[in-house]
Amino acid sequence: MVDYKVKFWDIILPRVQKPTRYLGNEVNAVVKDLSRCLVKVALAFPDLYEIGMSHLGLKILYSLINNTEQWAAERVFMPDTDLEAILRDEAFPLCSLETVTPLAAFDLLGFTLQYELSYATILQMLQLGGVSILAQSRGEEEPLVVGGGPGAFNPEPLAHFFDFFMLGDAEETLPQVLFFLEQNKQLSRAEKLLSLSQIDGVYVPSLYMPDFDMNGCFLGTRPLHANLPRQVQRAVVVDLDAAAYPEKFVVPYGSIVHDRLVLELFRGCTRGCRFCQAGIIYRPLRERTPAKLKELAKELVRTSGYDELALSSLSSGDYSAILQLVTELGIELAKEGVALSLPSLRLDSFSGQLAEQVKQVRKSGLTFAPEAGTQRLRDVINKNISEADMIGAATDAFAAGWTGIKLYFMIGLPTETDEDVEGITALVRKVMAAYKQAGCRGKPRVTVSVSVFVPKAHTPFQWAGLIPRDEVLRRHNVLRQSLRATGAQYKWHGVEPSLLEAALARGGRELCAVIASAAELGCKLDGWDEHFSFENWQQAFRDNGLDLAELAARQYGLDEPLPWDHLDSGVTKAYLTKEYELALAAKVSQDCRENCLGCGMSLLLEGKDDKDGKGVCHDARLD
Amino acid sequence: MMRVWIKFAKESPMRFLSHLDLMRVWQRAIRRAALPVAYSAGFNRHPKISFASALAVGVTSEGEYLDILFDKQLDGAAFERLAETLPHGLKMVDWRQIPEATPALMSLVCAAQWELPLQADESRHLQEAVQGLLSAVALPVQRERKNRLKTVDIRPLIYRLEADEKESCLRMLLASGGEGVVRPGEVLKLLRLPAVEGRVHRTELYVASGRCFQEPMAVLLN
Repeated sequence: MVDYKVKFWDIILPRVQKPTRYLGNEVNAVVKDLSRCLVKVALAFPDLYEIGMSHLGLKILYSLINNTEQWAAERVFMPDTDLEAILRDEAFPLCSLETVTPLAAFDLLGFTLQYELSYATILQMLQLGGVSILAQSRGEEEPLVVGGGPGAFNPEPLAHFFDFFMLGDAEETLPQVLFFLEQNKQLSRAEKLLSLSQIDGVYVPSLYMPDFDMNGCFLGTRPLHANLPRQVQRAVVVDLDAAAYPEKFVVPYGSIVHDRLVLELFRGCTRGCRFCQAGIIYRPLRERTPAKLKELAKELVRTSGYDELALSSLSSGDYSAILQLVTELGIELAKEGVALSLPSLRLDSFSGQLAEQVKQVRKSGLTFAPEAGTQRLRDVINKNISEADMIGAATDAFAAGWTGIKLYFMIGLPTETDEDVEGITALVRKVMAAYKQAGCRGKPRVTVSVSVFVPKAHTPFQWAGLIPRDEVLRRHNVLRQSLRATGAQYKWHGVEPSLLEAALARGGRELCAVIASAAELGCKLDGWDEHFSFENWQQAFRDNGLDLAELAARQYGLDEPLPWDHLDSGVTKAYLTKEYELALAAKVSQDCRENCLGCGMSLLLEGKDDKDGKGVCHDARLD
Repeated sequence: MMRVWIKFAKESPMRFLSHLDLMRVWQRAIRRAALPVAYSAGFNRHPKISFASALAVGVTSEGEYLDILFDKQLDGAAFERLAETLPHGLKMVDWRQIPEATPALMSLVCAAQWELPLQADESRHLQEAVQGLLSAVALPVQRERKNRLKTVDIRPLIYRLEADEKESCLRMLLASGGEGVVRPGEVLKLLRLPAVEGRVHRTELYVASGRCFQEPMAVLLN
C-alpha cells in the first residue's frame, strides 16, 4: 500500500502556498485508526479550508460522528489551485486531512450543499478523489455519496452525482444512516439505498423518476416503487437542547473567515420573510435554553483557547432570553477575556438596552438588513420593519457609540420599481441624519451592500424569475448614481454569479449534464471572483442545448409541477401560494409567534415527542 | 507578576507554521491551560508574549524561546498543563522564571546554531569548501532590501562552521541579532549546497554573557 501520508507531508506539502490548511493535525482534530472503525465518513465541504472550517454544520456532524467510538469522520476541502495542480500532475488522489486517506477509501462521502456556486467544485473533488462522478457507474467498493444542507431541498441538478440526499436536520438522520451501514456491510449498493430510502429525511434520486409529456413538458417526479413515499419528508430535531453540539472546535493554525467560537441559539425563524429559504426549511423555531448555552460556552472556551464567541442564529435578537443571555454570558466570558459578538441582529430587535449590552462586550461592526428601500416593497417581501424602527435602532446604535453601520439590500425583488431602488438612497440619508440626532458630530461610515435577489425553491417567491441581466445592471446604475451624493460606500456583488445561482437553484435533472460540462471546462470555486468564469458556464449551458439567462429568468405557473414538489420541507405549497399572492398585493403576514399562519409544520411534527414544548410552533399546538 | 522564558521545539509537523500562526497557537494554548497572561495597557491591548527570534517557514528547531509575562505567580503544575495542551509537534523543553526587569529575550539573542544533515557524497568535498570560507578575508553577499541591493560582509558574522564527516552533518554558528544576522541559506549558497528548506534545523539560540555565548536557560541574570 502506498503511504499517502508520508508522500503528502514530505514531498507535496513543502511545495504548496499555505500548507497549514492541509495538515489535519489541528488541536481537537480527531485522528482515529481507520482500520478499527466500522464506518468511515469523509465530510467534504466544496470550498477552501478557510470557508469550510467556518461552517457550523460541519463541526456538528464531525463531533456527532466521532463521538461514537466505532465511527470515524475526517474532513476534506477543495484544495487551492496550487495543490490541485500538483495532485493532478502527480496523479495523487485527493485525501482526507486527518489520516491522508483517499476519498475513494471511505464508506460514506458527504458533501454539504450550502450554495449553488459550489456545485462544479463537488464534481472536481469527486474526480480528484478517484470517485466515479456518476452515481450509477460507481462500483461496489466506492463510497456512497450523500448530500445535505439547503441545496438538498432542490437537489435535482445534482441527482446524477449523488447516491442519496438527506433533507433537514442531519443530527436526526445521519446516526440512523450510519447505524444501518454498520450493520449491513454485506448488502449491495442498490440494496443499501433501497433500505436507506425508508429512513425519514433520506431521498434516493435513482428511485424517483421525472415524467415528461410528449412535448418534453415536465409533469412531476414519481417514486419507482409502491413502498416509497410520494413526498420525502424532511427530518426535524425537536429538542435542540438534547441534540448533539460539538464540545470542542477544531482550532485552525492560520486565520479562517470566521475565526471564533459559535453558539447556535436557535434554529428556525418566525419572521416569514418571503424571499428567505432558511426561514422555511429550518422551521419550526427551536431554541436552546440559556442554561444549556452557558454550559456549552464554558466548555468551548476551555477546550479551544479562542478569545471570541459569536451568538449565531437566523436572527439572534429574536432569541426569547437574548438580553438575559447577553448580560450573563457577557459577564462570565469577560472574566476570561473572551469577547462576545452578535453577528445577525435584526434592526427592530436592536433596542437601546441590547445596544448597550452588545457595546459592553465588543464594539464590532453593526450590520442590518432592511433588504428593500420602501415600505411598500418591504411589505411585499414581508420584512416587517418600519422606517421608524430602523431609524430608531440606528439612533440607539450611534448613541451607544457606534460610528459605522453596514446595510444590506437586494435589487430585483418581485414588483420592484425605480422608486423602490431610489428609496434605498432616501433611507440611507435618514440613517445618516440619525447620527446627528444621536448627538454625534461629523458623518457616520455607512456601507450599502447590494446583491441581486435570487428566487429559491420552497419559498413564496419560488415561482418568480430573476429580472434580465440588462435590467439588473440598469437598476444597479440608478442606485449607484443616486447614492453617490450621500457619501455612503457602495458595495456591489456583480450580476453574473447571481444569474448562475438562479439558473441552478430552480432547475431539474436537465442541469446535471450542464454541471458536468462546466466541471469539464474547468469550473470550480465559483464563489471566488478570481475563479468564476461566466463564459465557461454559458458554454456549458449551450453545449447542452440550454440557455443560462432563460433559465434564470424562468417564471413558473402556480399550477405547474415543480422539480422539487416531491420533497416536503414541512411547509405546504398551499401556504407558499397564499404568501406569494399576498406579496403581489403588498400585504404583510404576521410573525408566526404572534399568530399561527397554518404553514403546515404541525403535520410534519405530528407524532414527534415535544412534551416540553421547546419546539416553538404554535401551529403544532393550535390544531 | 511572573516573567518566564520557555524553551520549546518546533518539530516536523509544525514546521509549516508561520511566525503569526505560531503566535496564535501559543496564545490559544495558554488560554486553554488557563494561564493569566499580562496584557499591555491602552486601547488595543495585546498579550505580553514574544518570541526570541523568528524562524522561517519550513524550518524545524529544538531551540526556540518564548518570553512571557504573567499576571500571577504560577507553579510547576501550570506549566505542565501548558505543555500538555500544545498541538502535536510543538514541545515544551524547559522553562525558567527570570527577574521582571530583564531586557526582552529578543534583544539579548546574538547567535543561532544550525545543523544540516549531509548526504554521503556531499560531506567529502565539503571540508575544502568550509576551509576556504573560513580562511577568506571577507565574504561579501548581496541582500535585497526595499528593492535595493546591498552588499554585506558576512565573514565576521560566521562564528563557527564545521563539516562533521563522522555524523555527516554541517554545523554553523551564525550571528543572529547583536552584531548582525546571517541566514543559513547564505552560507549554503557560498558552499554551493542546495538550500532545501526542509533540511535546515536550528539547534540553539545564544545570548552573550561577557565574552562567551550561553544558552538562555543557563545564563546568569540579575
